[in-house]
Order: sequence, then structure tokens, then C-alpha cells
Amino acid sequence: MSGALAIFRRELLGLWVTPLAWVMLVVFLLIQGLSFYSIVVHVSSMTSASIDSGPVQAYFGQSIFLLVSLLLVCPALTMRVFAEERKSGTIEALLTAPVTPLGVVLGKYLATLATYVAMWLPTLLYILILRNTGQVDWRVVGSSYLGVLGVGAGYLAVGTLMSAMTKSQLTAFVLTMLVIFGLFILGIGEYVFDAGMLRDLSAHVSVLSQMDEMAKGVVDLRRLVFDGSLVVFPLFVTVRVVDSWRWG
Amino acid sequence: MIEVDRLTKDYGTVVAVRDVSFRVGKGEIVGFLGPNGAGKSTTMRILVGFLGATSGTVTVAGHDIVDDSLEARRAIGYMPESAPLYMEMRVREYLTFRAAVKKVSRGERKSAVDRAMSLAVVTEMADTVIGHLSKGYRQRVGLADALVANPPLLILDEPTAGLDPNQIREVRRVIRNLGENHTILLSTHILSEVETTCDRAIVIDRGRLVAEGSIAELRARRRAEGGVITVRGDREKSLAAVEGIDGVRRVTAKKADTDGLWRLTLALSKGTTDVGPVLEAAVGALVGAGLAVREAGPSRATLEDVFAELTRAEPEASDPAEAES
Repeated sequence: MSGALAIFRRELLGLWVTPLAWVMLVVFLLIQGLSFYSIVVHVSSMTSASIDSGPVQAYFGQSIFLLVSLLLVCPALTMRVFAEERKSGTIEALLTAPVTPLGVVLGKYLATLATYVAMWLPTLLYILILRNTGQVDWRVVGSSYLGVLGVGAGYLAVGTLMSAMTKSQLTAFVLTMLVIFGLFILGIGEYVFDAGMLRDLSAHVSVLSQMDEMAKGVVDLRRLVFDGSLVVFPLFVTVRVVDSWRWG
Repeated sequence: MIEVDRLTKDYGTVVAVRDVSFRVGKGEIVGFLGPNGAGKSTTMRILVGFLGATSGTVTVAGHDIVDDSLEARRAIGYMPESAPLYMEMRVREYLTFRAAVKKVSRGERKSAVDRAMSLAVVTEMADTVIGHLSKGYRQRVGLADALVANPPLLILDEPTAGLDPNQIREVRRVIRNLGENHTILLSTHILSEVETTCDRAIVIDRGRLVAEGSIAELRARRRAEGGVITVRGDREKSLAAVEGIDGVRRVTAKKADTDGLWRLTLALSKGTTDVGPVLEAAVGALVGAGLAVREAGPSRATLEDVFAELTRAEPEASDPAEAES
């Protein structure tokens, strides 16, 4: 796996020495900052609040800004991982080195995941600000970040797969966005369909419900299993796709 | 070092490589020769495990490239055509990354990178961003990449393509030096490259192997040797002077580039192998007849002639439909 580690480090460098990651970081933090600011202003004007509708819950669980930022950031982080290498031809040098396709895919995927985590790190400041003026339940904060990590990890895996499917970064970006948006729309079905299998299915994949629950400190194993399968399945297919290039 | 057995690659409608078999022994420098689009790159990509073959087997350093791919790939240093590199990285960064991917242990990476950079003559560019390098330097960084894990076998796809004459000479010199410790297979469509750097050549055209052998063997495939003499004076007189000489089958005269000069081409008669004495006699006869001799020498068919002959004869024989149209 030393090959995968080397690829991981190169991918990180490739992301952060180009402006892309920094532009994404700025856009992401701008959206998060606006979201947080409006929530704090709103909460501070309320005369009373229940225990599970504080600013942390609103920020992670009820804000559409969070989903919008994921919809932008995840496809942007992953669009180049394979598409760019195939377009420039560097994939030939990479795949003729003694590394397995699994090592290549994992190295690249984990680099986007690490970048994603790095983008969330500054938002810890918001929690510190809240703690200065009131109480913060760290378990709720923990489960909220776990939710954000789970959702993002799945989206990034989808993006990695889409990047392997095309030589165009733009196509990879759009395809990833479509899949993420599709999953979101499917989740809306929870409020549309009558009680039954369809509604259960929608509730199960709903990112809205997942974040709502986790922002209240509810960690449901089924949610994590779904997130996990949204990581494993696309990555598995990506490995097969990379392997299949030999036969093109 | 490399054993290729009945290799075929079929892209559906196009057959890129048909039934090619050859061997490259340890320590050899072998030129893989063919016109553009002959299937050189496809064959090389199969050899290094980047593409799969439709049928046939490839064994590299005793490992099958499909069944034992990682071990086989560890034995190979491959430079793809036009040496694609990560443009945003510095030369040293890139080579260190490549060393890590090729499983050079952490402690040896720095010395491996330094060694590869000095062999490929890119040390002075170690801290330059690859995107800012000239084509010649990029090509040499690609070469350093192939060398960095010190593999026993180097497979170089058109290592001199797109370089200026000085750079070409430099890269050839580097390859020659590397040949002392490595087995090398390099592809090219330039014949002089094979003549100056290789021990042996494999010629491929339209996916078929058309010739294989040492440079001398390939040259031996040309027609009988002859001589060329440039003279000043009367055409008829000079032809008459040479015609009677022993060992000359036929003489033709053509106007030379400069006015008043004639180029006489001598074809040797059967059984005459040495062109030297025939030329001496011819020059003597010409001078005796009052003509001025500017230049005289043997006409040695170049590999270009052999190559043109080999690759031109093939399609008519194999593809009657094409000949009709």
C-alpha cells in the first residue's frame, strides 16, 4: 500500500498547489459563514427555544446552505482525479507503475476526503464562538460532524466514479452534481409519498432526515450503513472501471 | 528479458498488432522500428501492462504481464510517448513521487532520485516546475522517471520525438551509456537512430513483424553493392571508359546537381563482392580518357532503403482488395 500512500500525497499536493482547492475553500466558508450568521441572528431574537432547536441543530440539521455547499464542493473536489490524468496522458505512467487499481483509487479518493475534512475544520470556530456565549453539547457536535463526514464521503466516492467515467472534468462535475441532486430529490419523497415502501425508501436515503437526526444527537446505525455503502459501491465500480481501461 | 509470443491486439474494427513474436535478450539495445501508425506504441503498451492483448502472451523478466503483473512491472522502466508529466510539480518532487510509487524504500529515495537526475542530465533543473521546462528537458525528466527505480529493463517509446538535433544527440548518448547496465527496447520511426544506438532491430509495419535481426543483417538484405563516381567532361566518353571494366555489369549516367558534372552509377556483375578494386580501375580508366574525377565511392544502401523495401512490399501481398481499388 506504499504506492497508495504516495498517490494520496501527490493528489493532496495536486489539489492544494493549484487554485482550485483554495477557491473551493473560500466559496465553502463564505456559504457556511452566511448560514451560521443568519442562524445566530435568528436564534438570538427568539424569546424561548426548546432543547433541540439551538444554533448547532439549526446549522447542521435544518440549513439548506449545507446541502448547497456539498452540491458544489464535492463534485469540484473529485472532478479532476481521473479525468485530468486521462486527458493529459499521465494515467499511462501511473498505471504502468507497480500499483494495483485499488491502490490508485484509494489513494486518490482518500486525498479528496482529507481535503473535504480540512475544509470543515475552520467551522469548528463557530462552535467555539457559541461556547463563549452559552453551553455546547459536545456529543451533539460530534454526531453532527459524523453526519457531515458520512454524507460527504459518499458524495466524494460518487464523484470519483464519475471522474473515471469521462475524460472531461466538466462532464464529471455535472454528472456528480446530478447524482447528488437525484439522491436529494429521492429524499424529498419522504414528504410526498403515502406511507408504504416508497416512503420508507425515501426516508432511508434522505440526506435531510439524516442531518436532522444527527444534528440532534441521534446516531442511527442504518444511516451510517447507507453512507458506507455509498462509499464502497462507487469505489468498487471505479476499481473495475480503471481495470477495464486495459481492454479499451 | 522480454518474450513476446503470437501477440495480437484487435480494436474491434482495426487490428493494431497481428501475430507478432520476438525476443529481447539481457543486455541488448533493441530498436523497435516502423512507420507512424504501425503498431509500435500499442505493442509497447501491451509489453508494459497498460493494455491487454487480444491473444498471445508477454513475459517480462520471467513474469507474465497479465498473471504476475506487479512483479513484471517492477522490472520495467517505461517512458510513454511524449513523456506525459504532472505539470504542477517540481522535477525533484515528481521523481520522488515516482520512486515511492515504484516501491523504492524511503531511505533510498533521495539517492535514487539524484542518481536518475544525473544519468538523464536534468540535475540543474531539479527545483524547476515541470510546466516551465522545455520539451527537451521534459523528455529527459521522463527518462529519469523510467530510471528512478533502477529497473533491469527500459522500454522507451520514441525517446527522441520532437527534440532538436542537439537534444537528440544528447538523448542518444544517454541511452548508449545506459545500455551498459540495462536492457533497452526503444521505438522510433527514424532509421539513423537505430543505426547509431541499437545492436539489433525489429521492424514492424501495419501490425506485422516484417524483419528482425542485427543492423548488419538488415543491411545485408539490400541489393548488391555498387559504386558512384562523379566526373566532369563528356558523357559518352566517360560511359565508354567505364563500360569495359571487369566486374561492372551496367553503368548509368545522370546529370549531377552542379552543371557540367555527371554522376555515374556502377552496378557490379554477379560474383563480384568487393567494390574497391572495381572503383580503382574505373577511376584509372576515366583519368586515362582525359576526364576529371571529382568524387568516387561505394554506394551503400542505407537502412532507409531496406526499410522502404520491407514496408512497401507487404500490403500488395497481404491485401489484394486494396491493390485492386
